Amino acid sequence: MTDALFAQLIGTCSAAMLLSAVLLVWRRAQAAALPLISLQGLALAGLVAVLGLKQHSPELLGVAVLVLAFKAVVLPLVLVRSSRGERGGAPLINTATSLIAMAALTAIAYAVSAPMASLGTGPTIQAIPVGIALVLYGFLLLVTGRHAIVQLVGFLVIDNGTSTVAFLSSGGVPIIVELGVVLDVLLVILILYVLTGRIRSEFGATDLDDLTELRD
Amino acid sequence: MNVAPALLALIQVMAMIAFTPLLVGIMRQVRSLLEGRVGAGVGQPWRDLRKLMRKEPLRAPGISWIQAVGPIVLVVSSLILCALIPLVGTIAFPGLPDDLFVVVGVLLIGTVALALVGLDAGSAFGGMGSSRHMTIAALVEPTVLVSIYALSVPIGSSALSRIVNQRIAEPATMAAPVSLLAMVSLAIAVVAETSRMPVDNPSTHLELTMVHEAMVLESSGRDLAWLELGSWLRLSAMLGLIGALALPWGMALEVAPLPLLVGVLTLGLRLAVLAMALATIEVFLAKLRLFRVPELLAGSFVLALLAVITSYLTVTV
Amino acid sequence: MIDTSLLVQFLLMLLAISVAIVAPARYRALLTGPVVSAIGIAGVVTGWAAVTGQHGSLPVPITIPLGAVTFAPSALGGYFMLVIGAVGAICGIYAIGYVHGPAASRTSWIALAVFVTAMEFVPAAADVVAFLLAWELMAVTSAILVVTEHAQRPAVKTAALWYVAMTQLSFFLVLIGLGILSAGAGSTQFAVFRATHWDAATANLAFVLLVLGFGAKSGIVPLHVWLPRAHPEAPSHVSALMSAAMVKLGIYGAILTSTQFLRADTMWWGVLLLALGTVSAVYGILQASVTSDLKRLLAFSTTENVGLMFLALGAASMLRANGINAVADSAIAACLFLVIAHAAFKTTLFLGAGSILRASGQRDLDLLGGLGSRMPVTSIAFGLAALGAAALPLTAGFVSEWVLLQSLIHGAGATNRILAITMPIAVGAVALTAGLALMTFVKAYGIAFLARPRSEGTSRAKESPISMRIAMLLGAAIVIAMGLTPGLTAHAIALAAGISSVKATGPLTIDLSGVAATLNPGQLLALALVLVLPVVATAAVVARKRPRRAVDLAWGCGGNRLSPRMQYTATSYAEPLSRIFDDSLRPERDVIVTHSTEARYLVDRIQYRQRLSDVFDSRLYTPIISFVERIGASARRLQNGKIHFYLAYSFVAFLVVLVVMSL
Repeated sequence: MTDALFAQLIGTCSAAMLLSAVLLVWRRAQAAALPLISLQGLALAGLVAVLGLKQHSPELLGVAVLVLAFKAVVLPLVLVRSSRGERGGAPLINTATSLIAMAALTAIAYAVSAPMASLGTGPTIQAIPVGIALVLYGFLLLVTGRHAIVQLVGFLVIDNGTSTVAFLSSGGVPIIVELGVVLDVLLVILILYVLTGRIRSEFGATDLDDLTELRD
Repeated sequence: MNVAPALLALIQVMAMIAFTPLLVGIMRQVRSLLEGRVGAGVGQPWRDLRKLMRKEPLRAPGISWIQAVGPIVLVVSSLILCALIPLVGTIAFPGLPDDLFVVVGVLLIGTVALALVGLDAGSAFGGMGSSRHMTIAALVEPTVLVSIYALSVPIGSSALSRIVNQRIAEPATMAAPVSLLAMVSLAIAVVAETSRMPVDNPSTHLELTMVHEAMVLESSGRDLAWLELGSWLRLSAMLGLIGALALPWGMALEVAPLPLLVGVLTLGLRLAVLAMALATIEVFLAKLRLFRVPELLAGSFVLALLAVITSYLTVTV
Repeated sequence: MIDTSLLVQFLLMLLAISVAIVAPARYRALLTGPVVSAIGIAGVVTGWAAVTGQHGSLPVPITIPLGAVTFAPSALGGYFMLVIGAVGAICGIYAIGYVHGPAASRTSWIALAVFVTAMEFVPAAADVVAFLLAWELMAVTSAILVVTEHAQRPAVKTAALWYVAMTQLSFFLVLIGLGILSAGAGSTQFAVFRATHWDAATANLAFVLLVLGFGAKSGIVPLHVWLPRAHPEAPSHVSALMSAAMVKLGIYGAILTSTQFLRADTMWWGVLLLALGTVSAVYGILQASVTSDLKRLLAFSTTENVGLMFLALGAASMLRANGINAVADSAIAACLFLVIAHAAFKTTLFLGAGSILRASGQRDLDLLGGLGSRMPVTSIAFGLAALGAAALPLTAGFVSEWVLLQSLIHGAGATNRILAITMPIAVGAVALTAGLALMTFVKAYGIAFLARPRSEGTSRAKESPISMRIAMLLGAAIVIAMGLTPGLTAHAIALAAGISSVKATGPLTIDLSGVAATLNPGQLLALALVLVLPVVATAAVVARKRPRRAVDLAWGCGGNRLSPRMQYTATSYAEPLSRIFDDSLRPERDVIVTHSTEARYLVDRIQYRQRLSDVFDSRLYTPIISFVERIGASARRLQNGKIHFYLAYSFVAFLVVLVVMSL
């Protein structure tokens, strides 16, 4: 694989991740969220696969398959099940404002990742801010989302962001570590899934505004 | 040395005047066919123009010279767009680079002319359309300029002909994320600026929703003909801009008969493809509420900004 | 030559004062106006001489312990003298026909002459004392002019109070800032400041103080609060002078500070300037776009333009801090271009607003309308200037924004990440500003001059007298001329700022070699003319065959009772925008629905009231003012009128002095 093609592919995958995150905030309908989170997983898997091909590392390709299976298929499916019958609620701040906030977060992510540029040169290091931006987007979703499902989506985006940073900065993660992380995430999602189900059976909806008395 | 660009500009203007009504005809026909109607035929916009041009305009009390001059300013600004944007070939005037800021400035002259025509008669509808039109135009501006910025980052110039030349020379750059994101946001901006779905429904006459139609309500006869022609030319020039950036093949790089012929033919082809695509997409879209439009524009602004930032991220080392 | 022409300006001021005193009331305006105008022309001549590199100085023979008092304009100062002189000359002519009532009094004319001269002498000053003298003279005379019509409208008094408070704040900050510099350099001479190497602490402190002081004078957010109050209440030629000329002196001070006195460009200085500029530009134009008071709209638009100038200056500092000097020079040029373009169109716009006010007695856009046919000359001049303010091609406004955008987009690709993310955001902000400015001025022109009159006074409006018409047309002509011949302005700017990467190739073309871009609006005009001809010819042929047919009514959706009250007003025009920016504007809306007495389902009348206030007023200044009032109330307890207390204060003070001296 030539260097130019490698850089191009890294760029395309990271742009796809950013794009899917922007669309997640933009299109707040639940139906749109699931294909988008799945697209993000796909892009992340693509990124890992590109890294694997570049380094001729079968292990990384294995990680790519793992990422593809979990982040692009399994987790979105779990989400689909947990969000069945839910309608997207209005977020706490309006969409235009959250979009502008995303623009600001992207700029911040780029500015604060300056120290990481010293890790080296090359397309992977250049693309690290994408991972940080994803983490920030995820937090934005967590902070402004009114529904438990949105919180789940935000959590997934944060996880994708941290994995992106990990892959890009270290040039790959051993399969066993990735497996552990993925299972962790799956566990968290399942717990939240159960929790969501309980909330719904308790309150009839998953609007987190109803949960103001958690201290009791 | 100004002869070559002047000749090219002349050819572009002639070609656009010839193609534009057909383009609108194609869009309407595609829409009709997809909706299961027979349609009026591709030539109907031409016949409409001819009919309107022959009719006398009505003059309500209190209207001013704007009513007569505004439509002509709109047409001329659209024609300047057709001359400046590289549609057939990429040879620019030396002192007047087809700078994207200049192109946007000329586009805005047309916007202002239309908005003033809307205000002139003093009817409630005209003011309403004009107000909405200017609000949208104001909010589109950041998207347009930031996406221009993104397109200009790789080559260090905002001149369209240089951007297009570089795309012809290295088609791979078109698939770069910066280019894709910038194109998407520019496309949204163009849709908003030319009053197409989902920002404005060009075929509505419902007072509560119309934007463009409300402004031209008071115009009739040849004034209306100029307004329609001007708006159509704007649309096709902007589609031509998108086309030149997305599918730049076939552009004439020198002024000679064969390249020019190829350039004109590919321009027609490009426009036809884009028109059909736009019409098809429009069928599946519903018009956005006016107060949801800012969301669309904020989204496209974010995409443009992302384009700029990814252009920093993906520097080939 | 410069020394003579400075002296001539001073003598002309004395002449204007004596003419104003001596001339009988009937001829006062006719005789004094031309002299004021001559002061301005002398300023243009002096300024041009200074820009082209001539030297000369006018020492003032007064003995102040602080040092010499000398006026000797630099090239940069000359550029500002040029701008101010031109504005002064136009306003002098305009005032002949415009002044009436208290504005035609002796005091007002004298204040006007001194004001124009003082503004000319600020950029001519070569040392701190001269600068501050001229600055304070300018502040005092402008305050007198603002308060002119206080007997007619109570709002004038509040406005003047705000103005005086803010202008003294500005003076105070500038005084301390320059004092720090003088102490650091050991001299009050500007020439010494330029050669001094400052230590970081002095430079930083002086920079912040001076930027805030000059920012307050030029109306930067959040120190802009006096602009939307003082500009509407002052007589219009005074508003024009203040908005087009006086605020530019704040810009002059900022340029002087950041590019000449404290040349060590620090990144955060640039960021500060750029942030102030961006916020002012966007906030200013947002307020302008939703307000319906014409002169308030223009005042907020001044804040916007000043914001753009600060933005350009900040970008220049940031670029220079990163060693991108050629692009930084273009950004400085953009700032100076904005200065002259804004002076041209804002003068004309304020004069046009004055003309409307004089003819109709209204400055509320909601009550105007249909003035285009009643006041054709005002309409043309205002329209052309509005095109300039909206930065449309072929006007001065467009060229200046073009230069600004070119310098911003070429700051990209820098290694510094702060710079790399600031530039696209700045482009976005400039673009939003430009878009909103377009809407604002379409609204201002369209609502005031098109459609039908919305009030009695407006329908009886008559065109203004000849001197006002000449002044307005002159201003509008300059807006267009500078838009068509940017080479001339670029030449002056290159000389004034001493930059080589911006140059003119002929009078028509501006060439930014630092960023490899050229612009020749003449070619655009030629192209437009070539394309206009066939269209107009076709239109003329068709028009001869089928002339227009008059009808009784505009199309009203089948209704036939179209009254002028049914037209869109300025408020309704901006309504979508104020809804979209609800969160940042926070308008107060009242909708009062009165139901019919017979049936609850029938509505008798609906009243809609919307009040837009300045967020900075309610969130920033109101708390400060109430805090100060509380302090004042407690201080009043000291001031209880008993003689023994006062004697005791003196005694305590005396004791303190004694103790301090002995230490």
